[in-house]
Amino acid sequence: MGTVQLAASAAPKRPRGRPLALLLTYAILLIGLAVTLVPFIWILMTSLKPASEIVRIPPTFFPEQWTLNSYQTIFADPKVPLARFYLNSTFVAVARVVITLFTSSLAGYIFAKFTFRGKNLLFGFILIQLMIPFQVVMIPAYLILVQLRLIDSLWGLVIPSMVDAFGIFLMRQFISTFPNDLIDAARIDGAGEFTVYRRVVMPNLGAPLATLGIFTFMATWNDYLWPLIVITTHEKRTLPLLLTWYTSQHGQRYDLTMAASILVLLPILVVYIFFQRWIVRGVALTGMK
Amino acid sequence: MTRAAIASDPGIGRKERTGLRPGQRAFVWGALIPIFLYLGVFALFPMIWVVVLSFFNYSPVRVGDGLLGLGGRNPFIGLGNFIAMFADTQAGQLFRISVKNTLIFAFLVLAVNLAITLPLAVLVENVHARVKGLFRAIYFLPTISSAVAVAIMWGYVFHPQQGLLNNFIKLIGLTPPKAWLTDPSAYFLGVPLAMIAVIIAYVWMDFGYNLVIFIAALQGIPHEIRDAAHIDGATGWQEFRRITVPLLQPTLLLVCTLTMISSFQVFVIFQVMTGGGPQNQTRSLTMEIYENAFRYQAMGWAASMSLVLFAMVLIVTLVQFRVLRTDWEY
Repeated sequence: MGTVQLAASAAPKRPRGRPLALLLTYAILLIGLAVTLVPFIWILMTSLKPASEIVRIPPTFFPEQWTLNSYQTIFADPKVPLARFYLNSTFVAVARVVITLFTSSLAGYIFAKFTFRGKNLLFGFILIQLMIPFQVVMIPAYLILVQLRLIDSLWGLVIPSMVDAFGIFLMRQFISTFPNDLIDAARIDGAGEFTVYRRVVMPNLGAPLATLGIFTFMATWNDYLWPLIVITTHEKRTLPLLLTWYTSQHGQRYDLTMAASILVLLPILVVYIFFQRWIVRGVALTGMK
Repeated sequence: MTRAAIASDPGIGRKERTGLRPGQRAFVWGALIPIFLYLGVFALFPMIWVVVLSFFNYSPVRVGDGLLGLGGRNPFIGLGNFIAMFADTQAGQLFRISVKNTLIFAFLVLAVNLAITLPLAVLVENVHARVKGLFRAIYFLPTISSAVAVAIMWGYVFHPQQGLLNNFIKLIGLTPPKAWLTDPSAYFLGVPLAMIAVIIAYVWMDFGYNLVIFIAALQGIPHEIRDAAHIDGATGWQEFRRITVPLLQPTLLLVCTLTMISSFQVFVIFQVMTGGGPQNQTRSLTMEIYENAFRYQAMGWAASMSLVLFAMVLIVTLVQFRVLRTDWEY
């Protein structure tokens, strides 16, 4: 947390350098801004055009005729029960966030504040986990799910990732800076070990829990490969799966596919607007990807 | 644990070995045993299984007669899968093409990404604190977006007639390529055009991470050093080249490693934007693993290829550890 607080508390730095250099700096930064934002704006505009305007060459950037037709078409499509798909994605993401936060903080607390035999071995195993790409273990993970009869079930998206090595690592880092006196004081007052964790440690983990929670949420919400493998029934699809399916059905109708993309992007954008500080700070702190 | 508590504990001999009182022991092992049993099933066992699978000609559609469906009609073939990687068969060729593509992709992404993020971070660092946050927040926006939506979006940006990019190229008076994603004979500087397109889309989506990491690292450089250089009359470029870059070296190394490793694992952009085409010019190793495992059910073959992916990640990580042993004192 050190660096960030330091930077935030420092007085606003006066812009350095000559006016020309500053002008050039802003010019480049604004070009970067345009490159970042224009694709988003472009597909938003596309989704607001009538189908006839989209095929026109050269294309228009802003719609000549504004319409919500594409969105209405999607909402009215009986093959696309949108609420269902939002619910699927939300269920998987929330379940994974809640479980990951619990297991990460619990194991992180134990690795940070207790000494016991085999600790280094177990923590070493967690560190090794950090290095294993998902694609390496996805085949056996799939075969395990087949054995557990969890294929084509939303639980199949939750159960294989209930313990997150990175989460444990992150929590251990944060909890090691937590004062021992506070924990001991609670023990002297007669609190059981789980109560200490629940009532003393947990309430002080707001920042790391928020960071880990948001990242787990976004990673799950945007995850594509694992749902692609596990889910086969249309009604159980998560939003990214729905999006590729919908695009395969309406390949040339760019008004519809771009509107569908906007609908998938929107919730995560809202989350980002609210939690932007936590997210950017989290990356700066952890190098999390 | 307080000293008093230790002194009053009768089981002091045992406790010193494990460091836990009975109540703590119940808590620690009550929590860790389920967690590590779980990790045994969902982390350790898959790692062992994937190695075992790579020695078999295994497909889940055939019923083997041994443990885990191995043996019998899913025979043990020793190093057969790994030998097949070098064979002059279609599967062997596709594998080698996918490894080559993945390496081209990863190195170009790294180069382009650093060329953009490092100078951009310096520029963002130099503007007023209030707008700095705004720039950073917006530059970071693509990284949180769904990769599938980004791939579909960029597929449309690259559309030959209606796409934003070709129309922009026309607007500034240049001749745009006929097709970005589907023309196998189109190359730019020796790299297939479709690969360039995928790299553009991926760097666009991913550069925010490195930017934020660099900005944080720049904030950690003591102002005195840069001010001193300033007073000594260093130009902006000299300051960047002689002060910023050397002081950022540990961060630079971390960023290079993370970018490399994550580029090896990119799947969605390839799968959704190009599907590996045209003529396998953008077929990545991850696509090759996915298709063989889950479309052709050739899981033994796919398992051996996923071990190659693991080896690639491992090599990059070990190189990083090796370089990290150098002293970075300043």
